[in-house]
Amino acid sequence: MTQRRQFLAAGAALGAGALLPTFAAAQGGAKKYAGVTLNVSTFSAAYPKFLQQQLPEFEALTGARVNFDTPSFPVYNQRVDLELSTKGPAYDVVNVTFIYSSRWINSGWLTPLDDYIRNASLTPADWDINDFLPGARAPETGRDGKLYGVPWIAEALLTGSSRFDLVQAAGLPFPDTTDDLVKVLRAVNRKERVAGFVSDNHYGWTFVPYLHAFGGDVFRKAPDDLFPTLDTPEAIAAADYYANLLREFGPDGAVTYTPDQVIQSLKQGRVNFTDQGQLYLAQLGDPATSKTIKTVKFGLVPKGPAGRFPGTAVHGLGIPAGSKNKEAAWAFIQWALAKQTTRKAILGGYGSPARRSDIESKEFRAKQVINGTDLAKLSLDSIELAAKTGHMKYRTVSVYPQVDQQLNKAIELVATKQLSAKQAMQQAQAASIAELKRSGVNL
Amino acid sequence: MPFAFPRAAGWQAQRRRAFLAGLAPSLLVLLAITLVPAAALLVASLTPLSLTNPAGTFHFRDPLGNYLHLLEDTRFLASVGTQLKLSASSVVLQVGLGLGIALLLHGPSRLLAATRAAFLIPMVLPPIVVALIWKIMYTPDVSPLHRAAEALGLPVSSLIANPDTALGAITVADTWQWFPFTMLMVLAALQMVPESPLEAARLDGANRWQLFRFIVLPHLRPVLVVCALFRLIDSFKAFPLIYVLTNGGPGSITEVTNYYGFIEAFNFSFWGYASAIAVVILTGVFALSWLVTRREWNTNEHR
Repeated sequence: MTQRRQFLAAGAALGAGALLPTFAAAQGGAKKYAGVTLNVSTFSAAYPKFLQQQLPEFEALTGARVNFDTPSFPVYNQRVDLELSTKGPAYDVVNVTFIYSSRWINSGWLTPLDDYIRNASLTPADWDINDFLPGARAPETGRDGKLYGVPWIAEALLTGSSRFDLVQAAGLPFPDTTDDLVKVLRAVNRKERVAGFVSDNHYGWTFVPYLHAFGGDVFRKAPDDLFPTLDTPEAIAAADYYANLLREFGPDGAVTYTPDQVIQSLKQGRVNFTDQGQLYLAQLGDPATSKTIKTVKFGLVPKGPAGRFPGTAVHGLGIPAGSKNKEAAWAFIQWALAKQTTRKAILGGYGSPARRSDIESKEFRAKQVINGTDLAKLSLDSIELAAKTGHMKYRTVSVYPQVDQQLNKAIELVATKQLSAKQAMQQAQAASIAELKRSGVNL
Repeated sequence: MPFAFPRAAGWQAQRRRAFLAGLAPSLLVLLAITLVPAAALLVASLTPLSLTNPAGTFHFRDPLGNYLHLLEDTRFLASVGTQLKLSASSVVLQVGLGLGIALLLHGPSRLLAATRAAFLIPMVLPPIVVALIWKIMYTPDVSPLHRAAEALGLPVSSLIANPDTALGAITVADTWQWFPFTMLMVLAALQMVPESPLEAARLDGANRWQLFRFIVLPHLRPVLVVCALFRLIDSFKAFPLIYVLTNGGPGSITEVTNYYGFIEAFNFSFWGYASAIAVVILTGVFALSWLVTRREWNTNEHR
């Protein structure tokens, strides 16, 4: 909380005064969009909140007025999914949500941004789209190779340990493989009443790195061959392994834990290990609320028999196809993600940038070191690994939400001993096939 | 006065017309906001409408397709079973508890009045607040209930993570919120029970149980039927508790029909199919209401 307050306060202090010279020149002088009202919507998060504080700068620069709406994540997605599907003009700038990116982009609901970026009268050369991580731009790119969103957040799923002192006391290092993780958990589970492992019960996100690590996958070859592969021996072994982590080492009621509960339990030192997004894990470094700040340690998700496959998530700003103010909307995106703006956010404490120059900056690296672990480096390594292997493609296909649901259920069913891993994954496979066929996917 | 009657009728008809003309705008608005969305739901349920391709899927080539698919959708059928279990158990508990507590709290003392007021608190809380209260109650790490049980040497493991107890846990939370509704209605009805038959029965030597069984209960019966009907209809809308406490799990153990409809609409974008589910729920609620009200037990005559 303190970090967030400092971040918002710094954002406010930096304020509206400083104009962005390159941006202003490219727009052909100030007040170009006087009289235009832009409707912007993203889900509620630290960066959009920072932008809301900076809005007077953009409005002074362009003359445009901005209505900036930030509902919660599920509400945002439902509202925008519906609005985009009608190709209506209600929004001018929206967040391109990671799990919906393929659906929104490949259904033609968003505007390609390449022409705006290439147009020197609209975008200065030093704005530099190539500064955004290639791994972050990939999910914002359509099948046609065009860019539909500019990333403002790139985060990775990492492993966190809140009581690494217990692991050290057992004479063990930070677990690097799935076997190591079990060995460590057996050594520390229930020591000092600290449960070994818990994860966000959105298993379609937290379990998949393990599914990949065991050599399994969600689809045969996303995005071209979407035949589900949830009942392969590798997938069954992964589900058995992961559900067992929750059953054997989880706190009471582990399958009901939401992301906030997971982080609270680690902050209070009630649970030791988790796999969670970098932004959530960074909260363990908050001296005001975290009791485990001095014993916390982070690492990459563990390597399995098939390798290491960290989960990554990217969100970007895009322009709906139905917007009536596309040029002004592009001016907004350009301003919101200009180097000067993102650097201000970094100085204010923003934790998950998508520009390489920000990630590699001294200021950012200094803030991301928590109890000796560089979270930024772990995150960057994860995102680059994901860009190289392409294993995150499963997550941006339009029908993933259907399979995601089945994975959530399957892990719960195994962890609560309602079904064996084999039965649960076979059931998930059959249900996924049925749902995908109903969605019109040719299998 | 040979012309008095026709003139009076004309005046009355004119007055009725004036009233109707005055009411017409609000009646039209009322009709529009109740019937139009229901009609839209029905129309959508006859199409395979999917938000991923709204233009290509809004057609009536197979109008009963969604309904036929429902018959073989095991997840839907299981959700109906879960819904019935949840509705039956929560209505019985709420009406029973509401009746029992109302009988205990029926009296003129100030203490009883204060207790009655306190019992009404759960009912006026927003459903999401109730869900959060019970999320705390059911989370062993932070729950005062779990801690108390542990202190007594009777540790209880998480009720919402256990497939055998998850639905029961939701029933308890729902009952906690809504038994005050029955309690309130019964308390009001108890004020109306006439004193003279009670007195006559006492003189005839009737005990407390006989007074309740043969005099009080028949008077309360119509109120109890109304309470049960209201709670039954409302139980089909159980959503926030399930969304916050279990998300339909573990597995599908607490996935009721409207929660499944929500998933089909908002997670999978199958709006046509979700509309068909909503129409089935609507029909079910109408049918149940009709069944309950057509029985002539909602009168207070002795039979």
